[in-house]
Amino acid sequence: MRSLRARLLLAATLVLLVFMMLTGAGLEQAFRSSAQQGQRDKMQALVYALLGAADAGENDVLTIPANALPDPRLSRVQSGLAALIFDAKGKVIWRSSNFEGQVPDLVAPKVGDTQFTEYDDQFALSYGVSWAADSSAHLFTTPKPRRYTVAVLEDKTPYRSQLGVFRRTLWISLGFAVSALLLLQLLVLRWGLAPLQRLAKELRRIESGEQASIESTYPDELMPLASGLNTMLQGERNQQSRYRNALDDLAHSLKTPLAVLRGLVDDKAADPALRERLRDPVGRIQEITDHQLRKAATAGRRSFAEPVRLRPLVEKISGALAKVYADKQPEFSFDMDDRLRARADEGDLYEMLGNLMDNAGKWCKKRIRVSARYAERKLHLCVEDDGPGFPAEADQLLQRGMRADSLTPGQGIGLGAVAEMVRAYDGSIALGRSELGGGKVDVALSV
Amino acid sequence: MRALVIEDDPQLRAQVSQYLTEEGYAVDSAGDGDEGQFMALEYPIDLAVIDLGLPKTPGIAIIKAVRKAGRKFPILILTARDGWQSKVEGLEAGADDYLVKPFHREELLARARALVRRSGGWSQSLLECGPIVLDTTARNVNLSGKPVELTAYEYRVLEYLVLHAGEVVSKSTLTEHLYNEDEERDSNVIEVFVRRLRTKLDPDSTLNPITTLRGSGYRWDLPRNP
Repeated sequence: MRSLRARLLLAATLVLLVFMMLTGAGLEQAFRSSAQQGQRDKMQALVYALLGAADAGENDVLTIPANALPDPRLSRVQSGLAALIFDAKGKVIWRSSNFEGQVPDLVAPKVGDTQFTEYDDQFALSYGVSWAADSSAHLFTTPKPRRYTVAVLEDKTPYRSQLGVFRRTLWISLGFAVSALLLLQLLVLRWGLAPLQRLAKELRRIESGEQASIESTYPDELMPLASGLNTMLQGERNQQSRYRNALDDLAHSLKTPLAVLRGLVDDKAADPALRERLRDPVGRIQEITDHQLRKAATAGRRSFAEPVRLRPLVEKISGALAKVYADKQPEFSFDMDDRLRARADEGDLYEMLGNLMDNAGKWCKKRIRVSARYAERKLHLCVEDDGPGFPAEADQLLQRGMRADSLTPGQGIGLGAVAEMVRAYDGSIALGRSELGGGKVDVALSV
Repeated sequence: MRALVIEDDPQLRAQVSQYLTEEGYAVDSAGDGDEGQFMALEYPIDLAVIDLGLPKTPGIAIIKAVRKAGRKFPILILTARDGWQSKVEGLEAGADDYLVKPFHREELLARARALVRRSGGWSQSLLECGPIVLDTTARNVNLSGKPVELTAYEYRVLEYLVLHAGEVVSKSTLTEHLYNEDEERDSNVIEVFVRRLRTKLDPDSTLNPITTLRGSGYRWDLPRNP
């Protein structure tokens, strides 16, 4: 169960279903007992009515005259209502004219008691009574009261259909209620979880470089989380810039004495043998510090890097290069969306584009073209010029460990540095020939 | 040409100053940002070499202050890391070129030469005016294809005048831009240099490359070759 919403929904659904079952069952039970009570009362009333109509028959035995029947259904065939009277021995002494079928096996209740029994297809109510014939008909003797059981039988069909209608109505309305509640639940969940979804969306936008920090307001419960995330993002970025400043200091304090040493090597007044011996180690130290400092300074791929707009950055670099190559007055053209943002470290982008564009400036005749676009989830950068293009062995420049001083000054060092940084971005770099006539460097970065 | 070197490391400062002196520059140097900024604003500078990582006032701030004061001399920045962000920042602030530490002597001098030349409006390293050709890299002069023997000071005067062609350059300006602080300055010497230059460059008095404007100075009047 990976989604919070699915969890809540499942739990709510289960609770609702159980609640619906219990409610339904309870209501049905209540209805059933109330219906049975009604049935019982009705039958009891009929028993009293029958007794009210009772008359003495042969041998003063209790009987119901056919014309005194309290309910006309008792004489109608298949009316579903029938009555029986048993004597103390359980023998039927009277039956309503419409009674047919088997006499049910009824338990005789005590006198004055009622026994209500539910059979598969009918209800039966039996009532114990002690009855004597009217004494006014006998002049000399007082008739002795005898024990009888009056039973009323009623077919269950009306009860059943009544119950059926109730059940249908009950479950249909419960079903509707549950569906409505579930729907409501769904809406409530959506509404309640919407801020979370919004937060996730914002994080995705930060990750994809479309915004720099979490900006919207959130409910009180999420606000600490949102501001915490912002603090973390800010902290990471600050950390990066502190780190970079420290590296700058380190570079400064290493390279200044190195420049002095380098000057000593170049100093024609110094001992030539000493200069010769120094040349190689100084070159190596320079190479190693260059390489290691660059490696340390390359931020590489980082999630949540602050997005950098490429166009202003490229324009800044070209503005700077226009000064450096003022003699040529190179013409820069840019082929990129004004709003294009790269989710890469700003320093890294400066470094890569600076080196590539510097290289192009160095070798171009007049024209330099810089293009950038996102395709297949990669940032593609391309720098072209109209110069002589790369020599055949130029691909070597991209190899690691290529000695910087074995290359044409400027060219190789920059390209090697870019190739190294591209690796930190899981990217690729390729040299080619531009349609402008000169060299072309294609860089793809996974950012 | 007068160069200013602002670099906090004393050894590197001495080294760079030495390179420039050997190249014929009059050199002033400063070890921190405050002193450097003062010199950059007050001295008659033709070129400044400024380290970006300076104590007190940072290099970028000096460059900004210099440009804000309307001073246009070229500035070469030295950076320790080949950090493009700082390079771009420096160049945007008003510097004209950069050099990454450590650097070769020749690299520094080539950049310095190019910057000075460019500030005079020349895009080639050969300054050609009629039959007179100055090679700023080799620091020699040809007249109609034949080399002309010049002393270091004569060359400096000539280069300054050619780079400021069409401008009136006073004797005091020339002394300010050509002599070090501690050197003895005598404006009469300038007259001597100019006279010698005229004899060497214009033996037949047909070109008249240098015009004397009485009371105000000299002007290089030979138009540059197209």
